[in-house]
Amino acid sequence: MVQSLLVYGELFMEHTQELDKALNELKRITGITMDVSAETPEETELALTQIRCLCTAYKEKYNKTDFLQSLMKSGVPSYDIAERASRLHIAPDEKRVLFLLEARVLDEAVTAILKNLFPSQTRTYLVPMSETTLVILRPVKTGETAESMRRVARTIVDTLNMEALTHVQLSYSSIIETLADLSGAFRETTLALKVGKLFYSEQTIFPYNELGIGRLIYQLPITLCENFLKEIFGDDVPEGLDEDTASTVNKFFQNNLNIAETSRQLHMHRNTLIYRLEQVQKRTGLDLRTFEDAMTFKIAIMVMNYLKTERNH
Amino acid sequence: MASLSLQGIQKIYPNGFHAVKDFNLEIEDKEFIIFVGPSGCGKSTTLRMIAGLEDISGGTLKIDGKVMNDVEPKDRDIAMVFQNYALYPHMTVYDNMAFGLKLRKVPKDEIDKKVREAARILDLEKLLDRKPKALSGGQRQRVAMGRAIVRNPKVFLMDEPLSNLDAKLRVQMRIEISKLHENLGATIIYVTHDQTEAMTLGTRIVVMKDGVVQQVDTPQNLYNTPCNLFVAGFIGSPQMNFMDALCTVKGDDVTLTVGEHVLKVPASKKKALIDGGYNGKTVVLGIRPEDVHDSEAFISNSPDSVITSTIKVYELLGAEVFLYFDVEGTQMTARVNPRTTLRTGDKAVFALDMEKIHVFDKETELTITN
Repeated sequence: MVQSLLVYGELFMEHTQELDKALNELKRITGITMDVSAETPEETELALTQIRCLCTAYKEKYNKTDFLQSLMKSGVPSYDIAERASRLHIAPDEKRVLFLLEARVLDEAVTAILKNLFPSQTRTYLVPMSETTLVILRPVKTGETAESMRRVARTIVDTLNMEALTHVQLSYSSIIETLADLSGAFRETTLALKVGKLFYSEQTIFPYNELGIGRLIYQLPITLCENFLKEIFGDDVPEGLDEDTASTVNKFFQNNLNIAETSRQLHMHRNTLIYRLEQVQKRTGLDLRTFEDAMTFKIAIMVMNYLKTERNH
Repeated sequence: MASLSLQGIQKIYPNGFHAVKDFNLEIEDKEFIIFVGPSGCGKSTTLRMIAGLEDISGGTLKIDGKVMNDVEPKDRDIAMVFQNYALYPHMTVYDNMAFGLKLRKVPKDEIDKKVREAARILDLEKLLDRKPKALSGGQRQRVAMGRAIVRNPKVFLMDEPLSNLDAKLRVQMRIEISKLHENLGATIIYVTHDQTEAMTLGTRIVVMKDGVVQQVDTPQNLYNTPCNLFVAGFIGSPQMNFMDALCTVKGDDVTLTVGEHVLKVPASKKKALIDGGYNGKTVVLGIRPEDVHDSEAFISNSPDSVITSTIKVYELLGAEVFLYFDVEGTQMTARVNPRTTLRTGDKAVFALDMEKIHVFDKETELTITN
């Protein structure tokens, strides 16, 4: 009996402390001072929930970060955007580009560097989206072009590499005209980051409008991809190409299907190269020396890598 | 400062792209090593693997004897200067240089000491209170260098740091970086695609192509004894002239025939051609533009290496003249004295300095005579 009373007392104390904390938080973000008298743990719990709801509602309505996060995740009705934006002093109709940054670790250093790189907090917004991703919403200045955006992206990546010594990858959207387009831009950059990491993993910057065939493959249903591979490899679809075949074929493609140049670059006799290409033909029926078959095989390799990565995730 | 060892380094990206293949290099303490090569050759990827910004797919990286493959970048004791650096626009030069140290919670007095020392080395002392807007391009670049220097790293990694500067400023900054290397006694690894930068800055140069190291040597040796056709063509501006030539061995004499021109190979070069069994085979003859002479004295002393052609373009560069002409369908360049009387459209006679020729295997593209 004594023990259960003790437990009851401890719980009550804990709740009261949490209530104090919640009230302080409410005061911090809204400036409202509130007194709560609760006599039982149930009453305290109820008060706690209500105060937390108040805090969340206030944050959503009056906090720029929360507002932009909601906007990007399509959590704000379109009729409400302009009013809430103006209340937060965010221009609803301004040309902007959304940069989506992914870092191995999104620590204080990364945030501090970005804040100082874009010191105008009233026009450029940094919005954390997860533990590893952050959005930089930057206005487009007069006269800035697509090339300017590429330079900004390059500067962000290089500066973080240099100053935070961390690996980052970055995608960016097309230019948006109003805040209502923000969720679309966020979807664009999220897709660009995924597609970029999958198909162009040797790069660090992925503009939304330069995803090439990778975007096409990424948007295909898995079953369709699997069927495509079955068409080429039959029922025995390999997990990937062996290293020799992969490097030979890649080099052959890089050299625009030129046998002489490829064999020279691979320090390999042209007959050895032809033998290797014939092995691929035996396996797949595709003669990589012809443009159409080479194109089919190139797409097959991309699809194969895509499925492999998807399976590993 | 530090020594580095790269043994069998490989980089294969998840999409299968093999960016760096079996990279082997020992870098001595205080060396100024240059990675040079065309775009996409793997030089930046190698640098980023040393920095820890990219995972190493295979091989071993050691700094001062310690394996670094899985060590976090911030614990590798390195500093980087990249092409698209940005200074913090609202901060003074002092604060820009101090910022990285502040993030690392270095004590204030230590920060002050390091910033002032770096400013002294870079001659930025009088500019410490200025904001980036009030700096010239070169001064901004020096501040970027300063941010790396204050870290007092074991190794400096620079990835095309001068690429965004105009040509004149680039020359000036090259000298500054060279001085900096002397003053700091630092180990520097520097990536560039510009062979002039490579030749003027490096104590040793690593020439890369398609993810493979082609040659590692001093600038002088790379220029004088390139190991293959790629290195020969990449190093030197204007680039080396190349012509297909038929090798003929007759007794003790070796000749290279280019169309109607028969060129006698000197004793110092012919042994390799005879021993290599090149009699009757087509080889690639390389000669640098400065080894193609138009002076009468040289021509009369070299009757066995004369070629004739018509000048297509005359280019006066002040201290020298470039003459462009064709030999058997191949464009050639001669770098001659500005007092030359030859002009566009003139019939010209040249003599090659056969002691300076380079001969390459046409199949393997490897050097035969170096």
